[in-house]
Amino acid sequence: MKKAGFLRKLVGAFTGQKKKEAITPETNRIPDEKLIELFITSNDKDAFEEIVNRYEDKIYGLAFRITRDHHSAEEVLQEVFLTLLKKIGTFRGESKFSSWLYRVTANASYMHLRAEKKYESDLSLDDYVPYDENGTLMGRIKVKDWSDRPDQALLSKEAMEIIEKAVDELPEPYRVVVHLRDIEGLSNEEVSVLLGLSVPALKSRLHRARLFLRDKLSDYFYERSK
Amino acid sequence: MVMCKDVVENIIGYIEAELDDKTLDELERHLHECPECQAFVRTYKKMLELTGKLRERTFVTPEIRQRLKELLKSKLKPN
Repeated sequence: MKKAGFLRKLVGAFTGQKKKEAITPETNRIPDEKLIELFITSNDKDAFEEIVNRYEDKIYGLAFRITRDHHSAEEVLQEVFLTLLKKIGTFRGESKFSSWLYRVTANASYMHLRAEKKYESDLSLDDYVPYDENGTLMGRIKVKDWSDRPDQALLSKEAMEIIEKAVDELPEPYRVVVHLRDIEGLSNEEVSVLLGLSVPALKSRLHRARLFLRDKLSDYFYERSK
Repeated sequence: MVMCKDVVENIIGYIEAELDDKTLDELERHLHECPECQAFVRTYKKMLELTGKLRERTFVTPEIRQRLKELLKSKLKPN
């Protein structure tokens, strides 16, 4: 019989569930840091499993976004959790656990890129602008305005694949910023600390990447409407 | 004089409500009169909304999960 760990008791404390009930989505309400503490102090494997469940997709997603390779992403996923097991006792809670985990994931992913000599840091979108030399958008945007398309068209499988493809076309330094900020929804400050960039540098990169993505989507929806 | 370029280059500040009152006022006056910039802002916001939907994608297949769990099981200390 599976041992009822401290996590189950904690779920009870947070949610009023009785300790013998199975772990339910209510477990989501327990902060990461509490789960870590449980694992460190009580070797509660349920707590660790919950951390794995919470972050496996996020880690794999970021690793894949950086490496663009499923094999590398799976290796990074395994490496990150092994690192976590090894270093979990040294986690001091000075930064958010999720930020720490994203940082470890990004570092491991860049190691893979370097090992495979796939580093792309020399590509730049710094000069990417939608306006002409006079600073006007005249005739460039409105003709392709797709913002009022019904959700059915905007959220179609094909459209989502186009967005995914457009993000993948971004050079790596821009791709990772879009992934963390616009897909994972981290704050500017969190992403800036995680990537070791100033907030203005982060925003500048994010800005060019978003202009590129907006253009890609405009082209796609414009072509579809012809 | 505010131009389309200024709307484009200040779009993050505009969306995140970080512009000072004077800049915001000037941009909004231009926006009011410029259908191109209105379309730019609308499609920019929609692009952000759609990109955010990629968050719902799942990557980890049952096979990847199984391999991960087996690896971790071998590393976890017994109680």
